[in-house]
Amino acid sequence: MSVAAGSKYLESLLQGRPRMPSSPLGWLNELRAEAVDRLGALKLPTTRDEEWRFTDISPLANLSLQPARAGSSSLQASDIAYLHLDEAAIRLVFVDGSFAPHLSLLPGPTENSQGAMIGNLPIVLSRQGESVEKHLAKQVEFRNNLFAALNTAFLHDGALVVARRNTAIENPVHLLFITTQAETANHPRCLVIAEQGSAITVVEDYVALQEGVCVTNAVTEIFLADNSEVNHVRVQRDSAEAFHIANCAVSVGRSSRYRTTSVAMGGRISRYDLNVLLAAEGAECAVDGLALIGGRQLADTHTCIDHARANGTSRQLHKCIVDGAAHAVFNGKIVVRPNAQRTDSSQSSRNLLLNPRARVDTKPQLEIFADDVKCAHGATVGQLDHEELFYLKSRGLAEATARNLLTYAFGAEIIERIRIASLKHRLEEMVLEQTRKN
Amino acid sequence: MSAVLQNLVNQPYKHGFVTEIESDVAPKGLNEDIIRLISTKKNEPEWLLDFRLKAYEQWLKMEEPKWPNVRYPAIDFQAISYYAAPKPKQKLNSMDEVDPELLRTFEKLGVPMHERAALAGVAVDVIFDSVSVATTYKQKLAEVGIIFCSISEAVHAHPALVKQYLGTVVPVGDNYYAALNSAVFTDGTFCFIPKGVQCPMDLSTYFRINTEESGQFERTLIIAEEGASVSYLEGCTAPKFDTNELHAAVVELVALDNADIKYSTVQNWYAGDENGLGGIYNFVTKRGLAKGTNSRISWTQVETGSAITWKYPSCVLQGENSVGEFYSVAVTNNYQQADTGTKMVHIGKNTRSTIVSKGISAGHSNNSYRGLVRIAPTAAGARNYSQCDSMLIGDKCGAHTFPYIQVRNNSAKVEHEASTSKIGEDQLFYFAQRGIGNEEAVSMIINGFCKDVFQQLPMEFAVEATKLLGFKLEGSVG
Repeated sequence: MSVAAGSKYLESLLQGRPRMPSSPLGWLNELRAEAVDRLGALKLPTTRDEEWRFTDISPLANLSLQPARAGSSSLQASDIAYLHLDEAAIRLVFVDGSFAPHLSLLPGPTENSQGAMIGNLPIVLSRQGESVEKHLAKQVEFRNNLFAALNTAFLHDGALVVARRNTAIENPVHLLFITTQAETANHPRCLVIAEQGSAITVVEDYVALQEGVCVTNAVTEIFLADNSEVNHVRVQRDSAEAFHIANCAVSVGRSSRYRTTSVAMGGRISRYDLNVLLAAEGAECAVDGLALIGGRQLADTHTCIDHARANGTSRQLHKCIVDGAAHAVFNGKIVVRPNAQRTDSSQSSRNLLLNPRARVDTKPQLEIFADDVKCAHGATVGQLDHEELFYLKSRGLAEATARNLLTYAFGAEIIERIRIASLKHRLEEMVLEQTRKN
Repeated sequence: MSAVLQNLVNQPYKHGFVTEIESDVAPKGLNEDIIRLISTKKNEPEWLLDFRLKAYEQWLKMEEPKWPNVRYPAIDFQAISYYAAPKPKQKLNSMDEVDPELLRTFEKLGVPMHERAALAGVAVDVIFDSVSVATTYKQKLAEVGIIFCSISEAVHAHPALVKQYLGTVVPVGDNYYAALNSAVFTDGTFCFIPKGVQCPMDLSTYFRINTEESGQFERTLIIAEEGASVSYLEGCTAPKFDTNELHAAVVELVALDNADIKYSTVQNWYAGDENGLGGIYNFVTKRGLAKGTNSRISWTQVETGSAITWKYPSCVLQGENSVGEFYSVAVTNNYQQADTGTKMVHIGKNTRSTIVSKGISAGHSNNSYRGLVRIAPTAAGARNYSQCDSMLIGDKCGAHTFPYIQVRNNSAKVEHEASTSKIGEDQLFYFAQRGIGNEEAVSMIINGFCKDVFQQLPMEFAVEATKLLGFKLEGSVG
C-alpha cells in the first residue's frame, strides 16, 4: 500500500486499516481496494486548491489518529434517550462509526412490514447484495476526492435505508452518529434509496459525547427514482475541537422531489459538500442550510445543484450566523446544462456578522448553458438592522434581548422548514441558547 | 430565428482593412536583448530599463493563469514581435501634418478627427500601432496645466512624475500579463491633472492594432491630484487578421483627495470569424487606486470585440469615503469568450462601491462575470451593491457568474444580485402587434437591458455603443 499524501493523519489512519474485516462480497472488497489505491495518488487539499481556498485544513495533516475502536463504548440506551426523536419509529445508532444494535430501534432484524428495508449495511448486503451494489459508491465520486476515498477505504458499517416502490413511510428514520472516543477518526456512511413512487424522511444526526479532537468523515448517497420524495435533515453538532468533513451526493429522478435542511453548529473546522443532480425531467429540489458558529470555528458549505434535464426546479436558501472570530464559507454553484430548458432556479446566501472579528466568504455561482431559463441568485452580508433593534427597544426590550430575538429570527427561518416537530423545537432551543451565550 | 436577424448578426467585421504604412518591426521573440532594444529605440532613461528588466525577471518565474473560464491554444511568446512603430517623423503640431494614409484609416472607422475634435471638443491622442503620432488640443490643455501625452513623451518631459507613479497601482509582478506588459510596453497614454483642475473636455485615445503579428502592449497612467477631475475615453477597433493577436495592456489610475476619474471604454476589436477563426486575445489589467479621502474612480466598459477577453477593471478603495464604480456591458457572439468583471477592494472607512454588469451571449460564445468584493477589517461602514444580469440568446452559448464576496468587517453591508433572462417570443410578439419589426424590437429590448450602463457613458460613446450592440446581435434572435 502506497501512502503518497505524506501527512501524519493519513499515515496513522492507513496503518490501522488492516484490522478491517474483509467482506464475503468480492465487489465490496474490490471497491475498498480501489479506494485505497486512489488514496495513494490523492493529496490532502490545501488553500491553493480553488475548492478549499478559504478552508485551511492543514491542522488536520499533523494529527495522529487511530481508527475508532469498535464496541469499546459502554454507552447505554438510557444515556442517549435525550437524543431520541419522538416521531422516529426507526432509529439506527452508530457509535464511533460502528453500528450499535442495542441502542437502535428496529422493527425487525433488517426489514419492517411497511415496505422499507432499513438496517446496518453489512447485514443487508449479505442478504440483498445485488440491489445495493448498483448504488453503493456510485454517486459520491471517491476517485478524485480524498475524503470520500478514505471513507470508502474504511467502508464497513453504515446506514442503509430503502423505501420500497409505491410506499410512503410516514415516520422519520433517525440515523444517529455518536462519537465517544477522542483522538480517533470515524467514517460514517449512509445510503438512501427511494424507489419509484415512494416517500421517506431521513434525519442524519451527528453528536459528540466527548470534548477532544476527532475526525468525522461522512459520506451520504441518496437516490430518488421517478416520482419519489425524500426529506433529508442533517444536523451537525460535533465537539468544539472536532474536524467534521462530509460529502453528500443526491441523484433526483423524473418528477421527484428532494428537500433538505442542514444545520451546522459544531466542529472546529466543518466542511459539507452537497451535490444534487437533477438527473431527469421535472426534478425538483429545495436546499436549505444554516451555519451557526462562534469562537474560532470555521464552517464551510459547498453545494452544487446540477440541472441536467429540462423542466427542473431548485430553490436554495443558505444562512450563516457568525460570531466571535469565526469564519463562514459558502460556495453555491448552480449549473444548467445545454438541454435543461425551462429550468427555474433561485439561490440566496444571507450572512449575519455579529462580531467585528467575524468573517464570511461567500460565492454564489451560476453556470448556464441554456437560454430558456429563469435563474437568479443573491447574496447579502450585514449586521443586525439598527432600525429593527430600535423598534424592539422602543417596545421595552433590553438591547441584549432585542439582539437575541433578531438573531434567533434570522436563523429560525431555516429551522422552521424542518417538518419534524420535536427536532424543530430542539433546534430552536439550541439556536436560542447559542444566541444567549453570545 | 428569423432570417433577417440571422443576416444581421452575421455581418462581416466592418473595420477589417490594413493600412499600409512602413513599420519598423523588431525581430520576433522575447529576451533581455529585445527589452534593451525597445528601451534604446525609445531612448529611455536607465531607471525605466531597470523597471522593464525587473518585470521580465518576474515574468520568467510566473505561469500563465489557468483559472479563467476561457479556452485557447497555448500562446507562443517567442513568435511575437514586441516592437512595431511607424518610422520616426518630425513632431507634429497640427492635424494637417499627419500622414494622409493614417487619416484615411480613421475616416474609415467613422472617426473623422477634425470633426470629432472640433464638434465634440475632444482631444484625441492618436495611437497608431505603438507610438503616438499626433496629439490634438495639447496646447489648450497645457494652459490649465494638464499634461496629456504619450507615455514615452512623458518619460522624457516629466520623468519625476512617471517614476513616482508607474507600477504603483499594478506592480510589475502583479500577474503574468501585467509583468509581460511592464517588460515590453512600447507606448500608451499619460495624463496628469494637477491640483484643483477640472479637465475642460473629455480626453480620448483611439487604439489601433495594425502590424500583423505584432502584439500590442499599451501602458496608460492617469493621475488626478487633489480635487481634480477627468473623464477619459478609450475606444478600440482592429483590422481583420486570421492569426490571433495578443494584446496585454496595463492601465493605472491614481486619484488623490477629492479627485474624480471616470474611465470609459468601448472595445470592438476583431472577434474572429463565425467559425471562431482569428481574433484578438485581449488580456488586460486595469486598476484604479482611490488613494485620497472622498476620491472616486468609475469604470464603464462596453466589450463587444476580441476573440477572448480577460479583463477586470478594479478599484482599490484606500481613502476614507472613497467611491468605486463599475458599469459593464459584455457582448459575445459566435465563438467569442469573455471572462470579465471587477474587483472592489475596500480598505478605507465608509468606502462605497457599485457594480452593474450586463452580459449578453449569443451563438456558441461563453460569457463569464467574475467579480470580487473584499471588505478588509479596516473598512468599517463599507457598502457594496452588485448586480449582474445575463441574457442568453440561443441554446449553444453559456453564461457564468463567479462572484466572490469576502467580508471581514461586521459593520459592512454587501448585497449581490444576479439574474438571467432571454428575449422571449411573447416580448417580440408584443412589439409586433404594435407594429414594430423584430429587428427593432430586439434592439430596443437589448438597449433596455443595458440602459443602466449606457447612461453612464459620455454622449458620443453612448450613441456608438448602442449602434455597436445592434450590429453585434442582429440576427441572433427571432
